[in-house]
Amino acid sequence: MNVWGQLAVISIIALAAAGGTWWIKGPPARVLACDPATLKPDELCLDQIAAGTDVLWVDARPRSEWEKNGVEGSVLWNLDPAEDAQAFEAEVAVRVAVVSQVIVYCGDENCGVSRQVAGRIRALGMGAGVFVLHGGWRALSEAGRVRNSSPDP
Amino acid sequence: MMASLQAAGLDFPHTLKEIHAPADAKTITADFEFTNLSDKAVRVVKYDAACSCMAVKIKGGKLRYGPGESGLVRADFEMGNFSGTVDKVVSLWLDGDPADKPSVTLTVRVHIPVLVMLEPKTLKWELHGGKDAQRIRITMNDVKPIRVTAISSSSPAFHPELKTIEEGKHYELVITPTEVDSPGLGIFRIETDCVVERHRIQQAFGVVRKPTPAEDAAKP
Repeated sequence: MNVWGQLAVISIIALAAAGGTWWIKGPPARVLACDPATLKPDELCLDQIAAGTDVLWVDARPRSEWEKNGVEGSVLWNLDPAEDAQAFEAEVAVRVAVVSQVIVYCGDENCGVSRQVAGRIRALGMGAGVFVLHGGWRALSEAGRVRNSSPDP
Repeated sequence: MMASLQAAGLDFPHTLKEIHAPADAKTITADFEFTNLSDKAVRVVKYDAACSCMAVKIKGGKLRYGPGESGLVRADFEMGNFSGTVDKVVSLWLDGDPADKPSVTLTVRVHIPVLVMLEPKTLKWELHGGKDAQRIRITMNDVKPIRVTAISSSSPAFHPELKTIEEGKHYELVITPTEVDSPGLGIFRIETDCVVERHRIQQAFGVVRKPTPAEDAAKP
């Protein structure tokens, strides 16, 4: 068998193995998973937030992303040095007075900004519980909870 | 902390760089060296700082590293109006990394002195409770004196009064609520003569509200 024949056989075997795996185990999971047992102490899964809870959503992403597809009613607080950190602080202070929970989100589970922003909000000592959303905006988007989105099937 | 990382053959002796910046620093730079310890070439597909305040470069713009080759990731962080401790993350995607899972994550931890410290930041009064005055301690953490030049309150429901404990070093802002029968919030603006602009004006808060369930539970 020449080299092209060998390549064809190898490709057929690889495709058959991949197809078999897909058939038996299903397609790869692309939806963000959140296991409460593995959360950090200040994190929440989206489905742990009880319906009807007064929540102040804080978007820790850049302003342009918040404006494009933030959670309806959310406020912005990021660590962009071009922004006015004291204005963020004042806005959150005004809004946090009437809620029991503040939940901060950034882009996805790799983004550490939300934890730093949560720390700054906690340092205000306003009394409300301050948490970081596991999975961040991606989790909200998959659940259809952000502007211009619908839940993933 | 000296965390190291080896990802797809690239070895980073340090993935966390802690930098103590002077209070008036405008920018700081952190370098992360790496070496390809594998026997195959490794390609950096993408790198990103996820913050407009940080510029990331790879030395010489070189993205492909053969076995044994070394390189350097440089992160330039614009300090803006930050103070306290700030973590900034640089992500590197290597060949085959999924879009949402970079295999290299580098952290620049910057400690920026807090020249004007307020403690606590927020005073709380219980709705329909007492109108006792409460205090915010103002401590100047600089070798040169920093004086409070003006104070103001956003709300007539709170009366602020400044007490000098030690000129240029320690002050107390004494706040007395005039109204505790309806929820309210006051923002207190504290102006100083601090030469570093980002520390010059501070703000603190006073709030009249019902205690949260957690605060109720914490009562003796």
